[in-house]
Amino acid sequence: MTVPIIKTKAEQGIATEFARRAGDLPGGAAALKVRSDAMAAFERAGLPHRRVEAWKYTDLRAALKDFAAVADGDGASLSADELNDALGLFANVEGDRLVFVNGRYASQLSSTKPQVSLFTLGEVLRAGQPLLPLSVDEPMVTLNGALATDGAVIDIAAGTKLEKPIVIIAVAAGRSANLASLRHTVKLGADASATVIEIHLTLGGARASQSNSVVEMSTGARSRLTHLLVGLEGSGATHIETIAATLGAEAALNSFHFTAGTGLARNQMFTRFAGENAKLDISGLMLGRGREHIDTTLVIDHAVPACESRELFKAVLDDTARAVFQGKVIVRPDAQKTDGKQMAKALMLSEACEFDAKPELEIYADDVVCGHGATVAEIDPESLFYLRSRGIPKDEARAMLIESFAGDVLQKIEGEQVRDALASITRDWLQQRMAP
Amino acid sequence: MLEIKDLHVKIADDGVEILKGVSLVVPKGEVHAIMGPNGSGKSTLAYVLAGREDYEVTSGDILWNGESLLELSPDERAAKGVFLAFQYPMEIPGVSTMTFLRASVNATRKKRGQAEFSTPEFMKVARKAAAELGVKDDMLRRAMNVGFSGGEKKRMEVLQMSLLEPSLCVMDETDSGLDIDAIRVVAEGANRLRGPDKAMLVITHYQRLLNYITPDRVHVLANGRIHKTGGKELALELEKSGYAGFTGKAA
Repeated sequence: MTVPIIKTKAEQGIATEFARRAGDLPGGAAALKVRSDAMAAFERAGLPHRRVEAWKYTDLRAALKDFAAVADGDGASLSADELNDALGLFANVEGDRLVFVNGRYASQLSSTKPQVSLFTLGEVLRAGQPLLPLSVDEPMVTLNGALATDGAVIDIAAGTKLEKPIVIIAVAAGRSANLASLRHTVKLGADASATVIEIHLTLGGARASQSNSVVEMSTGARSRLTHLLVGLEGSGATHIETIAATLGAEAALNSFHFTAGTGLARNQMFTRFAGENAKLDISGLMLGRGREHIDTTLVIDHAVPACESRELFKAVLDDTARAVFQGKVIVRPDAQKTDGKQMAKALMLSEACEFDAKPELEIYADDVVCGHGATVAEIDPESLFYLRSRGIPKDEARAMLIESFAGDVLQKIEGEQVRDALASITRDWLQQRMAP
Repeated sequence: MLEIKDLHVKIADDGVEILKGVSLVVPKGEVHAIMGPNGSGKSTLAYVLAGREDYEVTSGDILWNGESLLELSPDERAAKGVFLAFQYPMEIPGVSTMTFLRASVNATRKKRGQAEFSTPEFMKVARKAAAELGVKDDMLRRAMNVGFSGGEKKRMEVLQMSLLEPSLCVMDETDSGLDIDAIRVVAEGANRLRGPDKAMLVITHYQRLLNYITPDRVHVLANGRIHKTGGKELALELEKSGYAGFTGKAA
């Protein structure tokens, strides 16, 4: 890639911010060296743009007019009540709670009885350990490496089975927008099982905030990890998230990504099978209206034989909203008996919305079953007439058909409480649409 | 009383005229059958009565109890008592049959100025009506019409017809795709809904459904017009002679 000669305002802003704030970021001299190297690498590449193949449909360089100030972690003014109000139905989800406000761990808002020992990245760095090595070569991951302030470090010992979820809440709050760079690590030992829920929110004057999160997951042999990503930041916010996951032999990973009403969202997940007979299920629902842009980009690397991957993503789009689904499946020469299926479906509620689907299969083994598909549809007029002939008014009938479209993918969510919460958020989203 | 007056209807998209002046009166308390060959306009008539938007009424009128239905939306017609049992009922994945039925019944009750049912009240009402039609509880929990057999779908149509308490029932080819046992169950359900305040229009290609739902009058629809009207014996005649006499221009 050629070096962009002219830096955009956002690129200049981030370089200035780094120069100003690098000394305050957690970690010693070794960490600062890693950060400076990462920043230099990011400056060489610049923000990803449409000529970078993986970012073809999400031109971040053009979309980001500016970078917000690096979050300073001042979340002391946020009360538990305010947070619970913003969490809505998720406030009732039981389990350990790790809250990060403006990029820093907020102990006063977090739960005090953790099921396992949880550390934060800030603590780890302050203890003199260097930043974790990066497993994905991506400009936004590189930028996160330069700016990471905090994150959850979850290490679940072999054989430990958590009954309740670990809930990671990232909040942007305060008077003005900020840029938060969280970096979480989730590691499951052999035979362990856990549920990790990530919720992203913005509050008050910080609604136009930017977040650039990285989550590294590794699952040991026969472990089970259920992951749920919920983006509810609002139409002014920018959300970039990179998940890098490695699955051990016979491990199962179920990851669900829900985005409703985020101005610009890009959730990219890179998954590698490292042991045989592992199962991966990634699914999600993207709800977009106004000028929102939601991008789901997945890369699944079947590096070993006999693994199974399933991807099902749905988008409901209105106004001039746009959704992107890119799904790349690589089946390496040794990965015989691979079973991979991928499906992306969009329901278009207006004529001006857009859905871009780009499935990519790279298959180098010969004994595999792989399939992909994508559909784009409008509300079926015959079904609408059927419902209306049963006395159901037009708006209610449309909402019912949209729920019907989204219903099967929501059914994939494990855990009734969170599934009901997301079904309810989906219904609210539909009702907002119908409000005059 | 249903009065269809010189009804002309074309397909909104391509302007092809399907109904070319249909006139028909179904007094309250009566069951009329409309028989005719494929492509005669039978299903179009059913859809137009229910208010489907892809047809355009170019002239004529449809009066139900003296009031024109033409300007009313499908859901407003349902509130006025119009019910169409579909030839091919739609599948609604992700919405349970019970949820669908409750939304439908409560929306209609609300428009009629009746109190809406609470969930437990409705479940009682729906289970009772379902049992009478041999619809199992398990079907009420499944997604609406998804994976139902042809017979189950038609039974579900009749269940909806009984729950919505319509006064004008239009049954479009309700017998198609059903074996004789299923026809009997569906016909018994329909017969239970006959009453002095209700009018029923049974649209069918074959005479056999009329063995179970005895019509007061039979109309023959061909090429978008009613060609002959008679008593129930007309259906038997047609069974013998077929529609050949009605499809040519001479008719």
